[in-house]
Amino acid sequence: MFFKKIFSQYNKEQKVIEGIKRHIRLLCTACDTFKTALENHDLKLMREVFDIEREGDVIRREIISDIYQGAFLPYIRPDLCIFVELVDRVFDLIEDTAFRYLDVEIPEEIKGECLRVAFLNTRICEMLLITFEAMLKGDDLREKTLAVRIYEKKIDDIKFVLIKNVHKIPISNFWQGKSLSELISGLTDISDIIEDASDHLQIISVSMR
Amino acid sequence: MKLQEFMTTKIEFVDADAPLYDAIEKMVDRRIRSLVVRFPGKNASDCGVITARDIVFKVLAKGANPKNIKISEIASKPLACIDRNAEFKEAAKIMEDTNIARIFVCEQDKIVGVVSLIDLMDAALIMRARGEDVF
Repeated sequence: MFFKKIFSQYNKEQKVIEGIKRHIRLLCTACDTFKTALENHDLKLMREVFDIEREGDVIRREIISDIYQGAFLPYIRPDLCIFVELVDRVFDLIEDTAFRYLDVEIPEEIKGECLRVAFLNTRICEMLLITFEAMLKGDDLREKTLAVRIYEKKIDDIKFVLIKNVHKIPISNFWQGKSLSELISGLTDISDIIEDASDHLQIISVSMR
Repeated sequence: MKLQEFMTTKIEFVDADAPLYDAIEKMVDRRIRSLVVRFPGKNASDCGVITARDIVFKVLAKGANPKNIKISEIASKPLACIDRNAEFKEAAKIMEDTNIARIFVCEQDKIVGVVSLIDLMDAALIMRARGEDVF
């Protein structure tokens, strides 16, 4: 209710909230672009993830600067900034993972699992947006954060299968192996940070009661 | 929600002719509750399934020695299969009607995943969180 009340009255706060929504929506776009590029082995599309990340950086800077120009009461500013920074970390990780993808061919043995993780990343990202919107409405976030945790656990389960399977793949040189390992880590760590971000929304929501 | 969104792709196989003890070891090592049983010369739709429940009630509780029993002797056949594009509700209905705890997701003649009761619960919780109708 707190946000809802603020919304109708103050312009600065509304600008920040709209910025955060835009930031998360853009993150969903980044995840979706990554997934489509992976599905179609489209390197040109994969490079678009870099542009999306840069756009994400611009939005992050705007949000942080708007917050410290006086939006919201001082006690809540650090928590909002942490949330924005967590979303930004996901952007960075997607960018790194896209970069790794350009470096290395995903072996057929693990392609299916990688695609599943990329798909689930898009879903968990949508869930983060739903959670944020629920917080603005003053809804209880318990069900939303549980859904995020379920997605994260599913991705974790696939991660263990991926690690097991990747050990069976012959690697011809060190750098190829390193890139493949970093690609898998990046792909499967995205959900961890989104989970942290969703937990942080819960903290913000509780602190405003 | 489509089954492929929340199915588990981690599937382990055992040969029907192997001793039951092999299956037990695999289930303990991999921490899974069921294994797909492969019958020689048969395709996926002719596979069977063996669960922890089968092992406990059909063998261990009766004091039988799992080293002397072949997997094929207690495996259930045929597998309950469903298409990967099927909806959550369809799987839930089959599982409820036939009183089974898991259903295998098949594509042509290949098993690509499995959906257990816990997966259905997860799916239902996600649908609730998304504001979608569960049933």
